Amino acid sequence: MTIDRNRRRQRPPWLAPVLLVMPAFVVVFAIAAYSAFSLFQLSTVNLTFGEPFRNAEAVGLENYQWLLTNEHSTFWGAVRVTALYLLGTLIPELLIGLAIALLLNRKMRGNSLFTAVLIIPIVLMPSMVGLIGRLYFSYDGLVNYFFEALTGIRHNWYGKDLALLAVILVDIWEWTPFFILILLAGLQTLPVEPFEAARVDGASRWQSFSLITLPLMLPLILTTLILRFMDVLRLFDVIFVMFAGGPGTTTTTLPLYVYRTTLVQRDVGRGSAASIMLIIIIVSLTVILIKMRERIKFEA
Amino acid sequence: MKPNWRSITGSRILDVLTVFVVFAFLFPYLFMVSSAFKTRLETFAYPPIFWGFTPTLEHFENIFSDMNILFYMKNSTIIAVCSTLLTILISIPATYSFARFRFRYKEGVAYGFLFLQMVPGISIVFALFFIARALDLFDTHIFLIVVYLLWNVPYAIWMLRGFVEGIPVELEESAMVDGASRFKAFRLITLPLMAGGVAATAILIFIGVWNEFSLAFFLTSTEARTMPTTIAFFMTHSGIKWGPMFATATIGTLPVVIFALLVRRYFISALTFGAVKG
Repeated sequence: MTIDRNRRRQRPPWLAPVLLVMPAFVVVFAIAAYSAFSLFQLSTVNLTFGEPFRNAEAVGLENYQWLLTNEHSTFWGAVRVTALYLLGTLIPELLIGLAIALLLNRKMRGNSLFTAVLIIPIVLMPSMVGLIGRLYFSYDGLVNYFFEALTGIRHNWYGKDLALLAVILVDIWEWTPFFILILLAGLQTLPVEPFEAARVDGASRWQSFSLITLPLMLPLILTTLILRFMDVLRLFDVIFVMFAGGPGTTTTTLPLYVYRTTLVQRDVGRGSAASIMLIIIIVSLTVILIKMRERIKFEA
Repeated sequence: MKPNWRSITGSRILDVLTVFVVFAFLFPYLFMVSSAFKTRLETFAYPPIFWGFTPTLEHFENIFSDMNILFYMKNSTIIAVCSTLLTILISIPATYSFARFRFRYKEGVAYGFLFLQMVPGISIVFALFFIARALDLFDTHIFLIVVYLLWNVPYAIWMLRGFVEGIPVELEESAMVDGASRFKAFRLITLPLMAGGVAATAILIFIGVWNEFSLAFFLTSTEARTMPTTIAFFMTHSGIKWGPMFATATIGTLPVVIFALLVRRYFISALTFGAVKG
């Protein structure tokens, strides 16, 4: 008993916590390191997809240089489409989501049923969502039916002009509930006192919304935007199934660009270089956004 | 005192608007489910048929007999269940360590996990493809199960950490004062209290794996193919087989919708890595 106790005292204090983290650390970082190593290796060679790796020809950083500077590279086009997609989804999703969250944040029957219903679009299988989107946006589809009923015109959503908008609309349907649910949860935990004080002082509804609700909700709004931002930059399945990046390159966001370069153009080297740049873009922009949010939180 | 009719009609209008808006989000899903019971002609009818058709089960018979959908459901279930259990098994000790101990580089390691979670599947899937070929693990369950850990373990650690930190450490300490070992205190006190959180996390990881497309699509071909990637079977040269697709989508999304509704209490914190409590 005494010996046992002595031994326990001698054990260094960092041993237990480190041993507990070890399995998770080893598994995750081993997979990551192995993938990162082979991704980087692939990004420095010239290799046609389907050929064995021994046929690869080392080219150093030429693939990166080509993607960033060559006049035939469509990398910057993909960056542009990604930016349009980001703005086209995040802004409407935030505004509509906030409006509906305010609408739901009233005492009424069926509220828990409504929030349950709003979970459904978020958890549907994205590949199936993409395929459904394809049917609903066809010329004889559901979307055109409602468009014709409202405006008398049917659109060709598969065409170059509207394909990106169609993909964006699917995303808005799928992910506005994300904003609604999170912002609603935030609204429900706001303190009551500032609103009562404002009412006593004769503030209008708009004033109490813009001067109290919005500032109090700002950190949560930014958190939600950051989470969605990362997800939108990663999105592959829905766009792949709906239009596979086409027609032309109109829906080729960066994840689609990686796929098309590697599997359609069969250029493993440039595809891997584009993958690494995508990872760098996601991680660096997210870090910047998190820093920005912390500063705003600090000032508020 | 006169009732304020203007504000009463105003709130009635808002009620109706709320119902309408929520229904608008549900509608595409309902239309998908109903289309699984329509004949081919009814699916393509313009204007679309919303009700009043005679439901048919032919597409469901078709996917079970001709497409052998049960095989892909079995693959999805094996991969999702194994990857979830493995994730939970190695995440609980790590979470406990992050939540209860202080050690050097702790937050650095925790954020390291979070950054790995951000890596898009599509950006490393082709590297993984070469790795799978080299290890002779292409198109196997085990490869997908292990690869998914890269995203699932960081997610589980961040989710569960909030749950463990919400349990007062004094409970464990008083058990230890009574002579229990640290492990016994954890097993008898903290573990039962975090069971709800573990269950919710497990279900959400299950949903994520069940729905996952890009890795499953490029890392399997016939043996380990999962449900979401069966969409390739519906895109044939003679067009898309919509009926079977809707039937598969209905069956494939059903368990997920049920699961999600079961854990809806935890859903908000699940969506935000535990950053926001619902």
